[in-house]
Amino acid sequence: MTARPGGRPLVPAYLATGGTARHPRLRLERLSLLMLSGRPVPDGLSPAQLALLDELADGTLTVVEAAALLRLPFSAVRVIAAELVDRDLLVTRAPIPPAERFDPDLLKRVADGLRALKH
Amino acid sequence: MTVCTVLRAPLHGPLPHPPALWNRFMIELPDLVAGGLAAGTLSALALGGGLLHSRRRLARQQAESAALRGRLDETLRALTAEVEHLAARRLPAAARALAHPHVTVPGPLHPQTAGSPLGHALDGVLQALRVELAAQQVRVDAAAQAGMRGATREIQAALYRLQDALRGLQQRYDDPELAQTLFELDHENEQSLRRAQVAAVVCGAWVGLAREESHLVDAVTGGQSRLAGFRRVSVHNHLRPGTALVSHAVEPVAIITAELLDNALRHSAPDTEVIVSLEHVHHGVCVTVDDAGVGMTRDERERAQRLVAGRDPILLTDLGDPPRMGLAAIGQLTRQFDLTVDVSSTSPYGGVRAVLRVAEHLLSHIDPAERPPAVSAPRSTRENAPDQPEQAVRAPAADAPDDTGPAAPADGARAVPALPVSGAPVHAYGTELPGAASGDVPAHDDDRRDTGGLPRRRRRTPTTAAAADVPAPRGVAPQPPERAAAALGALQSGTAAARAGSTPETAEPTNDTENEGETAR
Repeated sequence: MTARPGGRPLVPAYLATGGTARHPRLRLERLSLLMLSGRPVPDGLSPAQLALLDELADGTLTVVEAAALLRLPFSAVRVIAAELVDRDLLVTRAPIPPAERFDPDLLKRVADGLRALKH
Repeated sequence: MTVCTVLRAPLHGPLPHPPALWNRFMIELPDLVAGGLAAGTLSALALGGGLLHSRRRLARQQAESAALRGRLDETLRALTAEVEHLAARRLPAAARALAHPHVTVPGPLHPQTAGSPLGHALDGVLQALRVELAAQQVRVDAAAQAGMRGATREIQAALYRLQDALRGLQQRYDDPELAQTLFELDHENEQSLRRAQVAAVVCGAWVGLAREESHLVDAVTGGQSRLAGFRRVSVHNHLRPGTALVSHAVEPVAIITAELLDNALRHSAPDTEVIVSLEHVHHGVCVTVDDAGVGMTRDERERAQRLVAGRDPILLTDLGDPPRMGLAAIGQLTRQFDLTVDVSSTSPYGGVRAVLRVAEHLLSHIDPAERPPAVSAPRSTRENAPDQPEQAVRAPAADAPDDTGPAAPADGARAVPALPVSGAPVHAYGTELPGAASGDVPAHDDDRRDTGGLPRRRRRTPTTAAAADVPAPRGVAPQPPERAAAALGALQSGTAAARAGSTPETAEPTNDTENEGETAR
């Protein structure tokens, strides 16, 4: 699905979003989770928006996963998803943050403090 | 004559002196003199008369020849004037008329020349000039086209490379500002590509890109994306899912659609929509482009129809300055690829209706489950007419929203406007869905409740995989191993029996299959 089956794609990515790659309010991350809100789908959605809703019918996906399934660049899917979130058709959840490494300086200072207490 | 000799004898010869003779002579002399004189006078009169006569004739002839010379001079002057008129007026006009048909070539200076041999000769000069000029024009144009073909081909190739680079960047970078710029550049690039490609096609080049079999709606949407005003175009796809174009027709259809749309967008107000509809017709598919613009005059329409029919060879010099290549390119493509374009009718929206007809032999079929059309291509209004039953499989998955629904109750008040959730089916595409008409079919009922009555795209491979394992945990209780074994045994014996006694009796195999069916159940 990732390989382009037909060579050069006939339909460019910008058509999916009507030419925009910016969303005024919402900024989704690559690993933001998307899921359906369960509201009935209104009229007047673009084909790409309907396609994204379809992909999410089975459950939650991250934005990049949806982008791969839709064969669109991430920047386009981000806008599509943000528009759907605006219309309350999607619910988004911030990406689960990866565990961070502790600051070695802080650890060292804590260790020093403990040692100082001991003495 | 005799008179003369008689007269001369006494004057010059020695006088005869015999008296008798002399006497007689003397007597007869007056008579002779009188006779001679009379004869002389007569002859003089005759001579004078002749002289006078010839004088008069000469004078008459002179007058006549003078008149003739005068007429000759006049004719010569007229001829000169005619030739001058030919050189000064008629030849330039005839040359201009080749390029501008509305220029009228003046007739000869004197109307009476028209039917004369001179008139014919002069017309021959004009005709020869026309023939030679036309041939010259074709030669020059062919040279110009060859030059332009070479140049545009290079440009086209460069733009395709640029497109690849831009799309690579689109995949790689996701900063919104940068992505926006990349989208804009991609769009600009598409427009430049379209122009280069159209110029190349007008000059007789190949479309410049080999594509493989593609969905027809993709070709149309691809054509749409090549225009500055693509947002004003709305495509209505009434084709059966999977309607596709054979490989060599893909790019021509995209180009023709783009050019028809460009015309429509150019000649309609910026706040109006251009409607494209894709429909099956007898022996093919029609792409209809309607605009709500000002339409064309009869002359324009005739010219456009002549151009798109592609019967006459194209001369760059005919295309105006700046050259309007769109229709000419359509003409080239319709001729080369056996497509039909008609621009002769008016649109119900007031503007022009352009219809591209793709004949059956240029169509093929792609399984939409295997290779779906592009995500941004409009869905077919017929999409889920044939696969209603399959949606039932998806129902469990679509149940999920019921759980998450209450998650956002605060927004309930401004929930999606005016949508009866479980009432009459509402869908965006039209009313021809069989499921929508028969509301009392229970199998579809809950399905429609889940999807809000909207036609949903069928799931592809992931769902079928899911569909395989969904029924096992849910509906059906796990089979005891004995029953499974019995089913398999029945299947095996059934096939064995069928193989062994393929011809003799038909009763047994049917029995077997019944058995198998029952045990399987």
